[in-house]
Amino acid sequence: MDFTSADHLEQALANASYLADRGLAVAVFLALKLRRPLLLEGEPGVGKTEIARTLARVLGAEMIRLQCYEGIDAGQALYEWDYSRQLLYARTLQDGALDPSRKAAELYGPEFLVERPLLRAVRKGAGAVLLVDELDRADEEFEAFLLEVLADSAVSIPEIGTITADTPPVVVLTSNRTRELHDALKRRCLYHWIDYPTQDREVAIIRLRAPEASQALAEAVAEVVARLRAMDLTKKPGPAEAIDWARALAALGVTQLDQVSVDETLGWAIKNRDDLVMVRKGMPELLGA
Amino acid sequence: MAGVPVGTGRLIGFAQAAEAVGPDDLYWAARATLISRHEDIPLLDEAFREAFEVIGPPQPASQPVADRRSTVFAPSELSIETGPRDDASESNLASPIEALRRKNFAACTPSELVLVARLMARLRLSAPQRRTRRRRPASGGEPDLRRTLRRAMRTGGEPIERAWRRRTRERRRILLVLDVSGSMGTYSRALAMFAHAALRSGPGWEAFAFGTRLTRMTRALSGPDPDAAFAAASAEVTDWDGGTRIGTCLKQLLDEHGRTRAVRGSICVILSDGLDVGEPDLLREQMERLSRTAHRVVWLNPLKGTLGYEPLARGMAAALPYIDVFRAGHNLQSLEDVADVIARLSTRHLS
Repeated sequence: MDFTSADHLEQALANASYLADRGLAVAVFLALKLRRPLLLEGEPGVGKTEIARTLARVLGAEMIRLQCYEGIDAGQALYEWDYSRQLLYARTLQDGALDPSRKAAELYGPEFLVERPLLRAVRKGAGAVLLVDELDRADEEFEAFLLEVLADSAVSIPEIGTITADTPPVVVLTSNRTRELHDALKRRCLYHWIDYPTQDREVAIIRLRAPEASQALAEAVAEVVARLRAMDLTKKPGPAEAIDWARALAALGVTQLDQVSVDETLGWAIKNRDDLVMVRKGMPELLGA
Repeated sequence: MAGVPVGTGRLIGFAQAAEAVGPDDLYWAARATLISRHEDIPLLDEAFREAFEVIGPPQPASQPVADRRSTVFAPSELSIETGPRDDASESNLASPIEALRRKNFAACTPSELVLVARLMARLRLSAPQRRTRRRRPASGGEPDLRRTLRRAMRTGGEPIERAWRRRTRERRRILLVLDVSGSMGTYSRALAMFAHAALRSGPGWEAFAFGTRLTRMTRALSGPDPDAAFAAASAEVTDWDGGTRIGTCLKQLLDEHGRTRAVRGSICVILSDGLDVGEPDLLREQMERLSRTAHRVVWLNPLKGTLGYEPLARGMAAALPYIDVFRAGHNLQSLEDVADVIARLSTRHLS
């Protein structure tokens, strides 16, 4: 699907239940148009991962996710050989069933190749949205390796050859900023910082994502969440928490927020013990007009 | 633009982006292409205001006035100071040095401090190790199928020679938090030297200075002149007779850096006399937070070197339960001990 303008894309995302702010819509539009990876940063729960998922739906592409963690390496990100099957196969070959000179070629055939997210994305090309999630958790060496794959949209496997994408996949990278990413990588990427939505937009987001919550409930939740964000909390609730909270309240049949209903369900919005204590202390002001 | 490096590549990207979107979205196109750090957004905003509304030149941010008087010198500047006679070699200095190692920093004369600084520059901090998730070939451990298969090729597919791999170990990071308030006096200058020596021991280590506020001094301390770094940092965070607000400063540290690798899983070394004018409850809360985020908390309090010192000051008493290692650090020997203790900090053994 081709988008002619950022408005067009914004509309398509909204139809797929994602309300992007103008900046994000423009950034995603440019990422598609200029075929550049998009680096998204922002507080947890503002929808960094979700935009990739929605984008895949809108484009009718496969969503391929690479979750980063400390120590992740090429074997987990790119490809790996299925060693146990290879060993087994090597043993059956032993009985002279095959010409020994061809053994290596047989053993490293495509049927023993285990495809990991990066290879899969390169093979799929334009038919894929590759989400590299929480890249800041991976080691710096991995970042350099990723940069190499992204730059060429190609993977070379010594035993098989080079696999190149005709059209590179759409790439979305996210970071929670536990460390600064390398400049070389950033230079290649478009960048967008996703802010918390305005209160009106948050009401709309809650209504869209949790349709079971009434307009009045959504407004109340958005207002309390905005107040919570103004408090000095260790972990502020993002739109993801607001949506979950509204869902939980709706499931309990709550129609308006009061001391009891907030107290019972506060764990959906606040996920840190010290924060909980602080919020419970300031409950009257939190709900006050 | 006000301090954001924009290379040709980014300019081309911006030009392409500007062409792809309408003029109304020019700002967003610039944001997506010209910057890639959250901190740079205000600078971009400013540049936009300047370019399209023209409100005059931007006001430069006021610079903290650094106290440039040098009382502790960079190691490189020291050799001339201490060796007027040509026989001032290591062996001749041995016994005075031995005495100096045990001398309280507060009692040192400026020339002795100079010598201390030189000795301190030799100090190397080494952090304890932790297991990572990366694996390396080893002589034992878990089976390494990849290499086993490679070797099996040589023996006709029979895996006779087996390979193993094991998780690697990596050194933990060290985080130094240095009190530069007035009550620390001579100590903070000496401890800044310690921080300077320590920072050169490991990559990715961080140092912060605090008084009434907190400031990052990693970069400044990585330079050749620790005294300038120290002077600049103390000018920035010390309000005249404002006292020390340890709790507030720790909170700032944890709020801004608590989720980053600087703090999480690190060995946090706090250098302070614990004379806090803030709320003890706040300090207690923040110390608890710190002890949960960092791997170990080490507190060096020069007052502890004084005979008969008890940690009775409200702040120190509040912080004490969350400290893993509590030492004096009031003289060179004590700092050397601390370096030793830090290197041996492991999961089980605690002093």
